[in-house]
This record gives sequence, C-alpha cells and structure tokens, in this order.
Amino acid sequence: MSQLDDLKTAIKSRLGELECVIGWEQGYDPLHATPLFIRSEADLDRLIIGPLAVHNLATYLTGYKGKKVGVVVKGCDSKSVVQLLNEKLINRDDVVIFGLCCDGVVSQRKIRAALPADPGFVESVEIGGDGMTVTVAGQAATLKFADVQADKCRICTTPDAIVSDVLVGTAHTPAPAASLACQDEFEAKSDAEKLEFWQETMSRCIRCYACRNACPMCVCRDYCIATSRDPLWLSQDNTPAENMMFQMVHVSHLAGRCTECGECERACPVDIPLMLLRRFMNKQVKDVFEHQAGAALEQTPPLLTFKVEEERINERGW
Amino acid sequence: MNANPYLPDMATIVEVIQETHNIKTFRVVINNEQRMKDFTFRPGQVGQLSVFGVGESTFVINSSPTRKDYLQFSVMRVGEVTSRLHQLQPGDQIGVRAPLGNSFPIEDLKGKNIVFVGGGIGMAPLRTLFTYMLDNRKDYKDITLLYGARSPADLTYKAELPEWTSRKDVNTVLTIDNPADGWEHKVGLIPNVLLEINPSPKNTVAITCGPPIMIKFTLQALKKLGFADENIITTLEKRMKCGVGICGRCNIGTKYVCLDGPVFTYAQLKELPSEL
Amino acid sequence: MERFITKENLTRLAEELVATCRVLAPVAGGGSVTFRRFQPGMTIDLHTRMAAVSPKAATFPQTETLLVVKREGEEKKPELIETLPQGKSVVIGCRPCGARGKLIFDPVYETEKIKDPYYLQRRQNTVFISLACDRPETTCFCHSVGSGPADPDGSDVLLTLVGEGYVARSVTPAGEEILKLALFTDAGDKGKEADAKNAKAREMMGEGHDYAGAPAKLLARFDDMDFWQAQSAKCISCGACTYMCPTCYCFNITDDDLGLNSRRIRTWDNCMSHTFTLEGSGHNPRSTKAHRLKNRVGHKFSYYPDLHKGVIACCGCGRCIKQCPAGIDIRQIVKAAQEYSE
Repeated sequence: MSQLDDLKTAIKSRLGELECVIGWEQGYDPLHATPLFIRSEADLDRLIIGPLAVHNLATYLTGYKGKKVGVVVKGCDSKSVVQLLNEKLINRDDVVIFGLCCDGVVSQRKIRAALPADPGFVESVEIGGDGMTVTVAGQAATLKFADVQADKCRICTTPDAIVSDVLVGTAHTPAPAASLACQDEFEAKSDAEKLEFWQETMSRCIRCYACRNACPMCVCRDYCIATSRDPLWLSQDNTPAENMMFQMVHVSHLAGRCTECGECERACPVDIPLMLLRRFMNKQVKDVFEHQAGAALEQTPPLLTFKVEEERINERGW
Repeated sequence: MNANPYLPDMATIVEVIQETHNIKTFRVVINNEQRMKDFTFRPGQVGQLSVFGVGESTFVINSSPTRKDYLQFSVMRVGEVTSRLHQLQPGDQIGVRAPLGNSFPIEDLKGKNIVFVGGGIGMAPLRTLFTYMLDNRKDYKDITLLYGARSPADLTYKAELPEWTSRKDVNTVLTIDNPADGWEHKVGLIPNVLLEINPSPKNTVAITCGPPIMIKFTLQALKKLGFADENIITTLEKRMKCGVGICGRCNIGTKYVCLDGPVFTYAQLKELPSEL
Repeated sequence: MERFITKENLTRLAEELVATCRVLAPVAGGGSVTFRRFQPGMTIDLHTRMAAVSPKAATFPQTETLLVVKREGEEKKPELIETLPQGKSVVIGCRPCGARGKLIFDPVYETEKIKDPYYLQRRQNTVFISLACDRPETTCFCHSVGSGPADPDGSDVLLTLVGEGYVARSVTPAGEEILKLALFTDAGDKGKEADAKNAKAREMMGEGHDYAGAPAKLLARFDDMDFWQAQSAKCISCGACTYMCPTCYCFNITDDDLGLNSRRIRTWDNCMSHTFTLEGSGHNPRSTKAHRLKNRVGHKFSYYPDLHKGVIACCGCGRCIKQCPAGIDIRQIVKAAQEYSE
C-alpha cells in the first residue's frame, strides 16, 4: 500500500469521531494544492499528499476550539502543533494527528523561476522519481525536486512528524544543509545595506496581513496591534517604515515561538522574504535561551516564563 | 454638506450636558455663520463628529430642525472617539459632517397618532422627531411617549422630562426596570409597560429605538397590539466611516445604513437579509 | 486611431512622460512584478507575468490624505486644509482587466448626490495604456464577466504585441493624444495581425461560465450558514484577495496624530477582517469568516449587480484565486450557490 492509501485508511478509521480531518486536495490547477476539510468518506477520495501539499494545516487548529478535529501534518507542520500544545492554545485530546514522513515540498516561487513560461499557463504536471514534468504554454519542462525544493526542506531536521497519533510513510534520516546561502548572504550585509534592502522590499508590502494570518502561531489575528486604535502603535499609512514596523512587531511576537514553517513567506503575495527575519530571530533565541520552538513537547517558550537569572544573559555584568 | 463629502465644517462646542455617568450631550455651532444659518436637515438624519487626530464617529442630530440655535448630539462613551469627545469642553473645536442619511417620514406621519417607544440612549433619535412634532403640534393627532431606562440615573434629557410629563398635549410615560427611591413613574420593562398602555394601532405609527434586546421585545409587543409592519419605524446602527455609501461596511445586502437608513420600517427590515 | 510602437520606444515613452506625469509601470523586483513609480533607468516588465498587485492604486492609492489639520496660529485654533490630489498619471502595461476595475468604482464614487473628489480627480487625470493578453492563465475568467483578453473598456490605449513592438489603438480622446507623439509610427497592415492575435487569445479561453441568476441564488443561501462555513473553511481572513483586486473599493478612514497637527487618511480596507464591521459596543454583525466571505462574494455577484444594472463587480483577473494563501476559488463558490439544490 502507498503512503496515501495508508493515510486514507487511518483517517477512515477515525473520521466518525471527528468534526473533520484537514488535509489537501488539488487546487485550481494541476500545480496547486489547496486545504481539504474531510467530513465524509466521499471527501476522502480527493485527498492528496506530496510535494505540492505545501500548506501548514496547523494554522486552522485554533479555529476549532472545543471541537475534536484531525489534521494531516508534515514534519515541519508537526512542530507547529507541538508549539500550539506547549502554549496550551490547543488541547491534545481535541486533535488527532495524522503524521507524515515527508519527502519535502516545493517552492512555487522556485518553480516559477525555473519554468520557461509563467506557471499561470500550466497545462499538466507529472510527479515522479526525483522531480516533476510541468507543461506550460505548450512547452514541457523537467524540474528536479532538489532545484525547486522549499528552503525550509534544505535545512530540515525533522522530515517525519515529531508528534502524531498515526505516522504513515517510511522514516527518513535527515540530511540537512548547514545553512542557507540566502540567509548567509543577507546576514553578511552591512547595516546600511540591510536598511536599503528593507526599504526597497517593504515598499512592495501592501499590509494585507497574509503573513500574519497564515502563521499558525499568530493567534491574536482579530485583535492584532497592527489595526488597533487603542493602543495605537501603527498608522494605516503604507510607508516602508510603517510596513517594516509591523514586521518587527510580528517577528518580535514570535520570538521563541516561530517554528520556521515558512507560511508567512509562502503566503506573501508580493514575495517578501520574511524568513530572513524569522531565521535571524530564531538564531538569537537559540543563542540566548538554547530554545527551539516546537522542537519537543512540554517545553515552555522562554518569553512565556520567568527565571530570576538567565544562564546566558549577563544581567549584572555590565 | 460640503461639495467634498469628506470635508467637515469646523464647529465650536457651546454647551456640554452630563446626562448619565457615560452619556454627554454636546451642543455645537458651525463656525461659518452663513453655513450655520443655511444648515437644514430632517429629523432622523445623522452627522459625523470629528476629534482631529483621533477620528470620526456617527451620531444622530437630536435637536429639532425647528430650533436652529445649535445642533445637538448625545454621545455614549464606548470607544476611542467617544472617549475623547467626553474630555472636550465648551469652546473646543470639532468637525461636523452633516446631514447624512435618510429621515423619518414626517409628511406621511401627518394626521396620525404617534407612539414613541425609546430605551436608554435610543431616546436620542426619537427626541429630534418628538421635539419637531411638539413644534408642529397641530399636524399630528395623539402623541404618546414611552421612555424607559434601567434606573432614574440612566435617563437622558432629564432637564426636559418635567416639561414632557406636564404637557397636556402629549401623554408621556416614564419607566425604569427596578423600583428606586423617590421614583414617581412606572416600574417595569418597556415592552410590558407598552402592553399596559395598550395604544390602539388604528391610524397610529409606532417609532422605536433602543438596545437590540429592547427592540426585539418591543416589536413583539407592537405586533401583539396589532400594529402593521409598515406602521412600525425604527433606526439602525452600524459601524460607519464615509457616511455617504462608498466605503462599503454598513451594508445589509444591497442597503447601506448610512445612505438608505438609518430609518427603516419593520416591513423594510423584514425584506432585508438578516445581518443586524 | 491605430499606430505602432517598438518595445524600445515604449520604454522611451515612459521616460518622456516622467517629465510631466506620474508614470506607473510593472517592474520586477525581488521575484515579484508590481506597479512601481517609473523612473528612467528602470526596466518595464510587460511580459514575464501579470503584475501581482492590480493597477488600481493609480486611481485609488492605498493611502490618500483626505485633509490636514494645522494648529499653528496664535490661538492654536485648528485650521482645516483640503488635500485634493494634483497632477496627471499614466499607467503603462496593465492588462485590460486591471484597467477595467475602475469601471466598477465609477457608479459608486460618482452619483447624482455624492461626488468623491479625490477619486474623480485621479480618474479624470489618469491614462491607461493596456496590453492585450495573448494567452489565458488557469485563473483567468474575464470572459465570464462580460469582458475578454483584448477588451478596450476602461483603457485609453490598447496595445497588442506584434513582432518586436505593439499595435496601439486609441480608445478615448486622451489615448488619441498619446498616439500623436512621435514615438508612435504608422501601423501599416500590422492591425490585421493584431486582430488575429486578439481573436486567437479569445478563442483559447473557450466558453465562459454563465453567472445569470447568481444574484438571487446567492441571496437564497444568505441564511444557510452551513453553506458559508463550508465555503470559508480554508479562508484565513487575510486581505490578499481584496487588496489585489482591481474592483475592491472599500476603504477605512483614520486620523494620524502628528502632535499639534493631524491628518486624516483613507486607506484600503478589507471586508475579510474582523475589525471591518466591529462596532463600538463590541457587537459585530459579521463576526465569523463565514459571514465575511458571504459578504465579499455576495457584494460582487449579487448586491452590486442588483444595484448597478446587472454588472458583476469582478473583472475576472483571477488575482484573488492565485494570490490566496489557501487557494480559495471565488468561481467555485458562486457556482456552488448557483448549483445548490436542497
């Protein structure tokens, strides 16, 4: 039996006790998947998994408070579930976790860059072996997964779900790259260059808050400081400075909570590389608190707790 | 209104009346004398008050168009703009964008008996029409005003209540929810007192405004008394920004409360999708 | 009027217009193509893909200063200053759907009684030079909402790619003025080729979906919250769909306190947001994403057509579909309402 068949069997056996099970199905064209809310066995026929199933479905869990739901998670997504559990934002008894051993997902942006024509003109997609054949505007192009893989997959240490009720697939031995070239290049920039980069990049931001709402950990949403008038922290004016300020609020609020699922960056309709900020922040949190969000159950995010003296902060030495 | 519908008239607060612990009434005069002189509106229309640097909010003009010394607005302190308005004193400058929205059908109401049913701050829109009718008393038949609040302290327009209750040409009934020392009027929930008054629906129009729960039971009481849907009028509230039907948030289906409202008959409301 | 302009000369046109106008053109940056204020030296990117954000900012900027209040006099009495937009703009290289978006704005922003001077100033002083599409994307459905890949409505000049340049046809007198510039040359018989290309693009789209009856069908589902909860299950309540949309015209008005002075701005707002209809009392008539998606779809395919001669408030550009982080397809939602049976 294939991994998909195993998954379907597992979901089928639990569906009766659940409000729904959240998975993926094919979206508006052969190149895009979309979340699927499985309520019946008939819905189950539409379930897909694989490199196009990019969405982190843990984002939906807090919306089902008080109801019991199932969720299909990749290794990275499972870290978000862990973090939600650790912050007591969801209840373990209310969620059935169908974990995947994941072979990685694609970056739609990399696919777009690799294709001979715009992916909007896609006609067919065939996935197999170590890549996919995509036909766009009458031209077939063969893409290797290694070339169009999401950045997070390249440095992934947890391809297999780290928490689950059912785990389907064959376990992996992760082989993460030490770092990402894009991150290293960004961090090597001078402050002036970084400022220039963000000024230019944030001039594209339209403050649609797709980054915020796609984030599984951004649970304030309806009451976000970004649109609050009392307190009033941000103007609704969309200048690069205000837009960057929002991103600073966003990344700060995720300090010690961000599991690097990459949904913020994936959701951005104008391709703002928000993960540069997330990864940088997470590095600081790791250095100072030896903490990685979502890495294990039963750990408390460092900024949600208090220690009289932090081991790695020299509070009285300066 | 200015040709630029977003441009307020600068205005001066001339008087502030503390009505209840969280309601203040503001009397306002537009600074430009000619514009103040030319200002006309119909009972039920609303205005946007600006505290510059803070924002704008919508309030009914609760003075009567027959009395032109000032425009009057009653403001309950609930949010950002209303909190800042409450800090203002006579002499302070605000912006006024008015009049906006539709109004009570004053022509159609001529020759009818009128029953006003107001609860709490909901008396504000009724006050404008009530005062207008008092100033054009001969045009209307029997007028009944039923006005209630949780307690005597929660009644607005206290300064005017003695006149309203003592006038012989209107039947004013005041009520509070629970007994209170020194209270000489009725005790009981508005819909119950309405049933007790038992107004005849014949040639009568009922006009009601108040908190949603009060409206709900008042409508039931009016139906029990035999009022037709067309003869029940109320006013709606929604979050508004532009006030002129553009910004897109106060709609219920195809109707914009800022443009097609705030005044609707119960018959009209029943035609709308249910999204109140 | 029909003329021809080479690709190089189109860039030159933008460079020349910069002296007298604000020129907006699709420019690539950081992997994204968006409309930017063109400056000489920039590369206009007409063909990589349709710009992510629609050109609506030309007539409806994301931030418009409505007025400024100054308190600088002796008595610190506030002085109110109206800040109407000034100057002319030219949009180069939008698609016909993007240019058509403002046709949905027009009957809302200019009525017999109310005229929005900020919008009207920009509307009257902006020229749209559109590029006809030669191939539909999977998300395109302009042909289902009364338009097509070479629809001139809403554009002032329509370009069609022929060889190494564009056949340029004027649609309005303002467009004709542009075509009189020396950068445009005689089109010869290239017009026929342009017609053939436009016809082929239309043919590739096939038959459109018929939205007839959608207004009543959507209204019939108004109280069916099960339907809307199912349709909105994957919605994350962000504003990508509304902010990308060429026809979404809703806005917020907020004040910025600048110390002694203040300013009032109007900014794009988003009906998918909880705060959009949140009232001071805490009551919210559209308290869930299901209510909000219902209003968005209802507004475009039911309420607006009912108010405005049956015109659907959608130009079929597909941005809301392809930019939705969850891949919500508005076509499927309307279809589900149309095909609904008890």
